[in-house]
Amino acid sequence: MNDDDIHRYLDGEAEVQGLDGNALAEARSWERMLAAFRTAHPATPAPSWIEDRVMAAIEALPEPGPVARAWGWLVRPRPVRLSPGLVGLAAAVLVALVLLHGRALRTPAPRPGADEAAVVYVQFSLTAPGAQSVAVGGDFDEWQGTHVLEDPDGDGVWTGRVAVKPGIHTYMFLVNGSRWVTDPRASSYVDDGFGNRDAVLAVAAPAT
Amino acid sequence: MATTAERTDAQVVRDVIQGDRDAYRLLVRRYGDVLHSHAVRMVGSQDVAADLVQDALVRGYRRLSSLRDPDRVGAWLFRILANRVRDHLRSTRRKEISLHVVPPVPGERRDPEEEASGAEVHERVRRALGRLTPEQREAFLLKHVEGRSYEEMAAVMDLSVAALKMRVHRARDALRVLLKEFA
Repeated sequence: MNDDDIHRYLDGEAEVQGLDGNALAEARSWERMLAAFRTAHPATPAPSWIEDRVMAAIEALPEPGPVARAWGWLVRPRPVRLSPGLVGLAAAVLVALVLLHGRALRTPAPRPGADEAAVVYVQFSLTAPGAQSVAVGGDFDEWQGTHVLEDPDGDGVWTGRVAVKPGIHTYMFLVNGSRWVTDPRASSYVDDGFGNRDAVLAVAAPAT
Repeated sequence: MATTAERTDAQVVRDVIQGDRDAYRLLVRRYGDVLHSHAVRMVGSQDVAADLVQDALVRGYRRLSSLRDPDRVGAWLFRILANRVRDHLRSTRRKEISLHVVPPVPGERRDPEEEASGAEVHERVRRALGRLTPEQREAFLLKHVEGRSYEEMAAVMDLSVAALKMRVHRARDALRVLLKEFA
């Protein structure tokens, strides 16, 4: 029996006809077990009070002040849509420029890791003795708090490096997976509009 | 003018950001059940799951203006919840979660012998699932219980298809051993 065949079958990438006797028996066994998993874990609608509590919590938040609104407008990501015609025109202009000045233009050889040059590794650090986990989240990860910091020697100083694109960013630390904490050592802050202060991080483009 | 029910996710997100707080209620209604079902399956407690969903939805509101693609606010909220659930499982350091509070499947009536056998199987699969890592449990549930394709999972979890396949494969390998152990 080949485990890969079973995985491919369960992933929907192989037909049952392609399985030999033992694999077929295992596949059938898995089908029964997966059905049991589904019936043991039915959909559970959210209780109605969640909506009320969420809306009450939102209503209790202070209105964003004008500074916070202005900051939010400045740093809000915006999709850029270009029409095919505009892209074609831009490409034609670029080609013309290259042709006209081709001899003057020198294209540097691509550096190793050039694709990664757009990010800068930033060292984050928070002193939080007794914390069970510390992560950092900000506009660079849509405030998911997925970048986990480490405290390998247990001295309460949590550190970690995060790849961040050049620009102005805001961030906070997420302690024990539930409490957002402002970086006490940041050089500047901005009101997030809800009573907290986001730390501001200015990341310069790497030198070429 | 579009009625409330017809508003797209992107329109609702824009309205909320522009100050219509009550519009957020629409997103809570649209995605609350999906979020809650996932959280219950992951943590095994309806009370804990409800708290996590509430927290994720409030957190989503607070950070709504950082959302890059308002059309995909559902996937974004799911990602916030999934992160919150994983953090909860890590912080509580529960290696084997209790899943006894998951309600029985409504509807079907079976004879007592079949009922006992079904309950035994359910207990086995719940215990086995509780022994997986949070990441493996999450990938397995999305794939085999919630019935999502790898492409859908990748879009929701912001991970590659290859990484998710690896998690599901490892989950199945672990479950194969655990289910024999619990037999």
